[in-house]
Amino acid sequence: MTFIIRNAAGESVQLADMPFARGGEAAVHAVPAFPGVVVKLYHPDVLQKRSAEMRTKIDAMTADPKLAAFKQHPGLAWPRFSVFDERQQWRGYAMRRAEGVRMTVLAHAMAYREHFPSLDRPALVAYLLSLLTTVQELHTANVLVGDYNPANFLCDPGSGTVALIDCDSWQVDAGGKRFRCPVAAPDMLAPELQGKQLGGVDRALESEHFSLAILLFKLLMLGRHPFDVVGGASPVENIRNGHFPYGMGGGGIPKGPWFNIWSHLPFKLKEQLVRTFREGSANPADRTSIAEWIKLLKLYKREMSKKYHDTVIKPANPKPKDYLGSQPISQPIIA
Amino acid sequence: MSLLTSLFPVSIPRISISQENSMSQSRIDLIDNPSPRCPVALVLDTSGSMAGQPIDALNAGIRIFIDEIKRDDLARWSVDLAVYSAGGKAQRIQDFVGAEQISGFAPLAASGTTPLGTAAGMALDDLEARKRTYRSTGVPYYQPWLVLISDGGPTDAWQDAARRASEQSARRKLVSLPIGVAGADLTMLSQFSSKPAVALDGLKFRELFQWLSASMARVSASTSSDTEVQLPGIDSWGSI
Ligand SMILES: Nc1ncnc2c1ncn2[C@@H]1O[C@H](COP(=O)(O)OP(=O)(O)OP(=O)(O)O)[C@@H](O)[C@H]1O
Repeated sequence: MTFIIRNAAGESVQLADMPFARGGEAAVHAVPAFPGVVVKLYHPDVLQKRSAEMRTKIDAMTADPKLAAFKQHPGLAWPRFSVFDERQQWRGYAMRRAEGVRMTVLAHAMAYREHFPSLDRPALVAYLLSLLTTVQELHTANVLVGDYNPANFLCDPGSGTVALIDCDSWQVDAGGKRFRCPVAAPDMLAPELQGKQLGGVDRALESEHFSLAILLFKLLMLGRHPFDVVGGASPVENIRNGHFPYGMGGGGIPKGPWFNIWSHLPFKLKEQLVRTFREGSANPADRTSIAEWIKLLKLYKREMSKKYHDTVIKPANPKPKDYLGSQPISQPIIA
Repeated sequence: MSLLTSLFPVSIPRISISQENSMSQSRIDLIDNPSPRCPVALVLDTSGSMAGQPIDALNAGIRIFIDEIKRDDLARWSVDLAVYSAGGKAQRIQDFVGAEQISGFAPLAASGTTPLGTAAGMALDDLEARKRTYRSTGVPYYQPWLVLISDGGPTDAWQDAARRASEQSARRKLVSLPIGVAGADLTMLSQFSSKPAVALDGLKFRELFQWLSASMARVSASTSSDTEVQLPGIDSWGSI
């Protein structure tokens, strides 16, 4: 194996000998001469099967002028250029080095404490706003993430921002062609996509909205999945059946701090979660849009700064009824 | 909270106060920590033929396994471990407990016959009970693992447990992994799974358990409790 790689113009650069991370499809190497850059080299068996197809996608992603700004986007590890080995074989691509801790650790009832010791709700909301803003920009360019795997969202405690990696798996319209997103974790997938052969499906914006609502819930609820229900079915079955236990007409909320946390969330936010997970289950049009989430989360942040809402991660008690938040007087609190 | 050390090596009465305590403790754990769980049952041949180097290497491997799981950001909160021994009689050394709660492991000794079928049956029963507890607390779980290690073959009635394990593994409800140490009856061990038993290369227990903890890290980092996870290759410990 060689650790000198070249760009298409034949300029060469030395990679760090050992990859600093490995995934199922690739190894990621640092570039000592360019600390802000990393190179993703696909595993040989992956290249053997899909090299031509992957190269076409990466080349389109790097060449399309409509997508060019993403290469400089601080929240994205967008492919910058293809890299080749010394025998001119295509091996992968170079991208920005993203900083941060996998969102799987942040959205976790226990693990967050180690990497995010001073975490509070305003900080959680800041990560969400960072993520949603970036995804909104992607959507504007017809790029759909498709595979909402929190391990690919790196949260940087230093800046409070989120960077998205593994961009090569997304659905991208580039160079006049559509490149599909062939994978996804079923736990994060909208009901209409469950059980589908994803390589053959064009993803839709509404499916993204469903996945984003799951992610939003998981982040606000310390990793608890919105479709974790006491008494039987798996989250995926509950997604298929639209069985969301929180809010009126739900049932089966797991024991623990979850109900308390839920009760402290702003009414309007909860209303949109209930809508997206219930009505929106069968009717994709009834799912909350990114613009709406951003508006509600900004409001949540403002109201927290005015002390309308508790800012601790795990409130000890449910919210008392007489609170000052944005709940219309006539509405009962949904629990 | 019951620790592997505190329950070992004296034989434990089936229902004792400490067992009940450990059960309710682990329920509390499931309430505070709803991370998807991967239950792992180790069923270990501790019969006389394992005495000496093999049992020492096995003990060292288990210790490495626990250490490495506890070092992983996510696996430490997701792996639930139970241990059974088959040496003279079948014993539950440790009922399912979160890896995070394990503080030590007292080495196993080897003697007697190999009631592997009984030990595997116990493990399968406990897995069912564990899954019921997950469901009643709303905690999602990955496919459970049954890891069966022997250097011979069962000396008791094993067919029933083997049939259960291989049926569940065929339906992808269980990852059943029978492993044979030199001298093992691989044909018989293979009946415990829908996939053939793997022969351990020499006494590479260390490599086996490193692979197992790496697999657990992959499983607990996967987003979905509903997908197949691509596991690392077994060439570091399996012999062909
Ligand atoms: N731009 C980046 N900056 C920093 N770290 C990165 C970057 N890209 C990838 N990594 C690290 O490398 C690991 C593997 O990368 P990536 O997820 O892209 O590989 P993959 O093989 O396609 O993944 P998967 O296993 O999800 O298929 C990531 O988990 C992350 O730790």
